[in-house]
Amino acid sequence: MRYTRAAAAAVALAVAVTGCGGKKKADDNAKGADPAKIVVWQMGDGSPEQTKFLDGVAAEFHQKHPKTAVQVQYIPWPQATQKFQTAIAGGSGPDVTEVGNTDVQSWAEQGAFADITGKMNSWAEGKTLSKGALANDQLDGKIYAAPWYGGVRAVWYHKDWFTKLGIQPPKTWADLVTAAKTIQDKKHVPGIAAPSDFTNGILSFVWANGGDVATKQGDKWVGTLEQPQAKEAVEFYAGLVTKDKVAPDKYVGKNELQGPQQDFALGKVGMYMDGSWALPQLEKIKKDQKNWGVFPIPGKTGGLAPVFSGGSDLAVWKDSKYKDVAFDYLTTLDSKKNSKAFADTLKFLPQFTDILQSGAYQSDPIMGPFAQAAASGVKFTPTSKGWADYEGAKKVLPNAVKAIMQGKSADDELKKADEQAGTLLNQ
Amino acid sequence: MLDTVQAVRRPPGRTSSGPARPARRRPRLGPYLLILPALVTIAVLLIWPVVQIARMSFQKVGLRQLRGEPAENVGLDNYRQILGDDEFWTALRHTLLFAVVAVAATLVVGTLVGLLLNRLGRRMSAFVAGGVLVAWATPPVTAAVIFAWLFGTTGGLVGWFLDLLPDWLVGGGWQNYNWFSSPLPDYTVLTICVVWMSFPFVAVSVLAGLRTVPGELYEAARVDGSSAWNTFWKITFPLLRPVFGVLLTMSVIWDFRVFTQLFVLSGLANSDSFNLSLYGYSEAFGSLNAKYGLGSAIAMVLTVLVLIVTAFYTRMIVRQEGVR
Repeated sequence: MRYTRAAAAAVALAVAVTGCGGKKKADDNAKGADPAKIVVWQMGDGSPEQTKFLDGVAAEFHQKHPKTAVQVQYIPWPQATQKFQTAIAGGSGPDVTEVGNTDVQSWAEQGAFADITGKMNSWAEGKTLSKGALANDQLDGKIYAAPWYGGVRAVWYHKDWFTKLGIQPPKTWADLVTAAKTIQDKKHVPGIAAPSDFTNGILSFVWANGGDVATKQGDKWVGTLEQPQAKEAVEFYAGLVTKDKVAPDKYVGKNELQGPQQDFALGKVGMYMDGSWALPQLEKIKKDQKNWGVFPIPGKTGGLAPVFSGGSDLAVWKDSKYKDVAFDYLTTLDSKKNSKAFADTLKFLPQFTDILQSGAYQSDPIMGPFAQAAASGVKFTPTSKGWADYEGAKKVLPNAVKAIMQGKSADDELKKADEQAGTLLNQ
Repeated sequence: MLDTVQAVRRPPGRTSSGPARPARRRPRLGPYLLILPALVTIAVLLIWPVVQIARMSFQKVGLRQLRGEPAENVGLDNYRQILGDDEFWTALRHTLLFAVVAVAATLVVGTLVGLLLNRLGRRMSAFVAGGVLVAWATPPVTAAVIFAWLFGTTGGLVGWFLDLLPDWLVGGGWQNYNWFSSPLPDYTVLTICVVWMSFPFVAVSVLAGLRTVPGELYEAARVDGSSAWNTFWKITFPLLRPVFGVLLTMSVIWDFRVFTQLFVLSGLANSDSFNLSLYGYSEAFGSLNAKYGLGSAIAMVLTVLVLIVTAFYTRMIVRQEGVR
């Protein structure tokens, strides 16, 4: 039985290897003319809303290219990496693809995407795309992707509890701890969730305190978690578990989806940090939206923490034979109208600075604070290919924070983390 | 090779077998043709990949290399990097300790259940065997997800049950106990999960072995007033030694390369709980910058380890067979 299973796996592997071995033959006669179809990769499971939206985009695209069919393929997020790797290795990629914004640097470096610098510069509507987001799509001065939608993390809280207990949405770190303590005393549930596998959230605290995970000095990345500001922030975050005891240790070694989200929706934890995109999922667990609120992650003594912007970008695949047509599709999908419409259905924010600042979100109780946080400044993790190793393979910050939460010395752990940053980010 | 076969097969007394000789002298291709398909399949699906992995372990291989760029030879760099990594030694220690504990537990539980099955009546035996085989047939991912839920913090059945027990016995606060944040509890859950999945195979194999033992032996033991303990060690175990040998070897191999369950239970975020498989996976595939060379080197280390252990046990079995 086990052997059968192993054999089946081996056969599947062999098929996969041979199946993706054949490279696409370039048929040059198609140049210039519109192709019969282009292939578009979208992440996720393809909800009805998403499908309907993309059908609309395709209809708009057909006005310009009537002969070109748009074939959309959905790729679940967890499989994206593997799918990309196979496509890069076998030359079987799409024409246009959605890509997680933290992954752009690595994929571009590995030669997955086409250089679209010239095309982007002549795209009029794209001029107001968020500069910070666009910087994340550049490698050696060339643009490899266009920001599509993004979102920031903030703190979700139970509005009804806050009202009853007379708590104001915290504006400083001290407020945050006090609020969590009050909830813990009166509601007998943990005040706040502080998971350790939460690089992007933890970084918001580091940034809020003027620290950073690594900075580029000359042409080398240097880990800076050992610096006082960063260290203080990490110690504060870990201290929610160890010192202030307002966060339970049951989320140590986990991410925000492995407990905190569900516990928040069920009323088993007072506050937790997540993006606006969590709303559909929270609603699935419990229909209680009217009692939930959001406030931006506070800075240490007030002000807003610069937040990490998660989200997706769009890129033209390097092996695509129809890059011009593909880029036309990209701009249709990423037009101001369409990107806002799509971001709204997903509870994300569009990446056009003028839309974010236009006040379109101010009156929205959930999206308002997120837009406010996004407008106050988004930051990105180091634009090094090695960030994928730092965060993906080694999970340096999560493991350091976990160790500190379990009583190890912050000095030692952050020193180790910085040493790893030195090796991983400079490869 | 062919000559040896003939020499052995020729009965010593009959020197002149007359007309049969010319026919015997022709190389006998038949048997080799028959195993050829199996050999080719194994060569293509197993040996070739292993050779590739061995080669890649001395190279720097990423996605660009898969696209056709020549891979750079880095000599022993990959191995040097692994051996200098603290995580490797932790993972190695976990792998070895886990294998020892899990193999022992699997064999003990499996044997006990096998003995039980042998004692039960026909119907009950079939019922129990069917029941435990469900555990064996459960795909590892499914089993791991079930155990992750059982030991989970919100609505986890185990925490709820432990909290029902009196506090002086097990302590309190189990509902919120985090089973997956440090190696010891993590591996406790992993061991239970893996043993639960693999003991049925042992049980059924032992049962099959027991059915071949002549009943008179046990009858004689009973007449002599032998205890169950003695009967097992004096009759059952010696007779089933080959079965236990095979089961031991296979369990060692399986438990050395446990991956799925640990991946689901504690995952990549808890590198202090890595075993060698997970360590190799995280190095090779954990980030977008695939490092197939490094991953291959770790796979080679794991392979060599398993080979050493199995070679050792296989030799032991073969020797014992020879003595008998």
